Amino acid sequence: MIGLFLVAPEDADQGVIQRIFYFHVPIALVSLVAFGVACVAGILYLRGGREHWDEVGVVSVGLGMLFSVLTVITGSIWAKASWGTWWVWDDPRLVTYLVVILLYAAYFVLRSSAEDNRRARYSAVYGIFAFAGVPLSFYSVRVAQSFVHPVVFTRGGADMPGSMLIWFVISLVAMFGVFATLLQLELLQRRADRAMRDLKTRLEALMAGA
Amino acid sequence: MNPAMARQLRALLTKDLRLELRTRETAVAMGLFALVGMVIFQFAIGTRTDDATPFAGGIIWATLALTAVLGVGRTWVAEREQRVLDALLAAPVPRLVLMSARAVALVLYLLAVQVVVVPLAMIFFVREGSFADLGLTVVVCLLADVAIALVGALLASMSVFSRARELLLPVLLLPSLIPVVIAAAGATHAVLGPAHALDEYWRYCVFLAVYAVVFGLVAFATFDHILDD
Repeated sequence: MIGLFLVAPEDADQGVIQRIFYFHVPIALVSLVAFGVACVAGILYLRGGREHWDEVGVVSVGLGMLFSVLTVITGSIWAKASWGTWWVWDDPRLVTYLVVILLYAAYFVLRSSAEDNRRARYSAVYGIFAFAGVPLSFYSVRVAQSFVHPVVFTRGGADMPGSMLIWFVISLVAMFGVFATLLQLELLQRRADRAMRDLKTRLEALMAGA
Repeated sequence: MNPAMARQLRALLTKDLRLELRTRETAVAMGLFALVGMVIFQFAIGTRTDDATPFAGGIIWATLALTAVLGVGRTWVAEREQRVLDALLAAPVPRLVLMSARAVALVLYLLAVQVVVVPLAMIFFVREGSFADLGLTVVVCLLADVAIALVGALLASMSVFSRARELLLPVLLLPSLIPVVIAAAGATHAVLGPAHALDEYWRYCVFLAVYAVVFGLVAFATFDHILDD
C-alpha cells in the first residue's frame, strides 16, 4: 500500500493523480470477476439447488456492486483531475459502469420482492441474465462512442513500463485477495446466522415440548 | 419445433390476439402513451432548436422503450387475474411454447404501436425524410422488437410471480434495455440524420441482432426454472 504511494513510478504527464490507477483498474476488474462468480454460482444453483450457491451468488453481487461503485467514484475523481469535470458522458468506461450498476441494482429489488420459495431461483436466473448483459452494455456504449471518439484508449496492459506493471500486478492480486476474504467472511457469517436460527427454532420446539 | 408445438403456439397466439382485438386494451393504451411520451420529450429537448432531426432517433427510442414497459407489463396479467395461468401451466404445453407465444405476442404489440408512431414521429421531427429512410427504420424496429420481446418475456415471467410486480418490472427491464435504446437510436439517427451514415447504421443493426441472439440463448437456457410450478 505504502509502496503504491511512494515507490511506484508516476506518470510523467499526469503526476500524482495517476496513482489512483493502481486502485481504479484492479477494483474495476475485481467487480467484473465478482459478477462472473455470481453468474457461475447461479448456474450451479439451478443445477443442484444447494442453498450454498445462492448465498455465494448474492454475496458476490453485493461485493461486485460495492467494487463497481468504488470504480465509478475513483474514475470520477480521475476524470476531475485529468479532464477537469467530475463526469464525462464521452468516456465509455465511466458510462458502462453506471449502466452495470443499474443492471445489478435491479438484482436486489427482484430479490426483495420475489416470493420466498422462488427467491433463490429468480436471483440465480437474473445473475446469469445480468452477466450476459455486461459485455453487451460495454460494447453498446463503445459502438456509440467510436463515432464520437475515434481515439481508442489504450492505456493499461502492455503499454506500461515494467516498473509500473509490477506495482499494478501487486495491487491487482491484493484486490483479488480483498474480494476473496470478504466473500469468505460474509459466507461464514451467513452460515453462522443460519446455524443460530436453526438452533433457536429447535430450542423453541424443545421448550414448547417441555 | 415439431408440428404439435407449432399448433400449440398458434392456439396461444390466437387466444392473445382475439382477446386484444375484442378489447383493444393494450395496443391502444400503448399507442397513446407513446404519442404523449414523444410530445413530452419534444418539450424537454426539442424546443431549444427549430430543427429536431438530430434528436429524432433518441426521442423515438426513448419513448418506445418506455412504451415497451407497458406492453411487457401486460404480459401474463390477464392470465393471472382470471386464473388462466394455473390452467396453462397445468396443461401439457411445453414451457418453451408458452414463452415463445409471449415473445411473439409482444413483437406484434410493439409493431402495432410502431406502425402508427414511427411515421408520425418522422412527420413531427424529421426534415426531408423519405420512404427509403422509413424502410430502413422498419428494419431497426423489427430487430429491436425481437430483442425487447425476448428480454421482456423472460423478465415479465419473473415479475408476475413477485410482490409489487408493476414496480418491479420497469426496474428490471429498463436497465437491460439501455443497450437496445443506444443501438436503435444510433441506427435511426444514422439513417434520418443529415450524415446518412449507412455503415454506422449496419453496425448498430448487427449489434441489435447479437443482443437478441445472446438474450435468446439466456432465455432458452433459463426459462424452465422460471415457469416450473
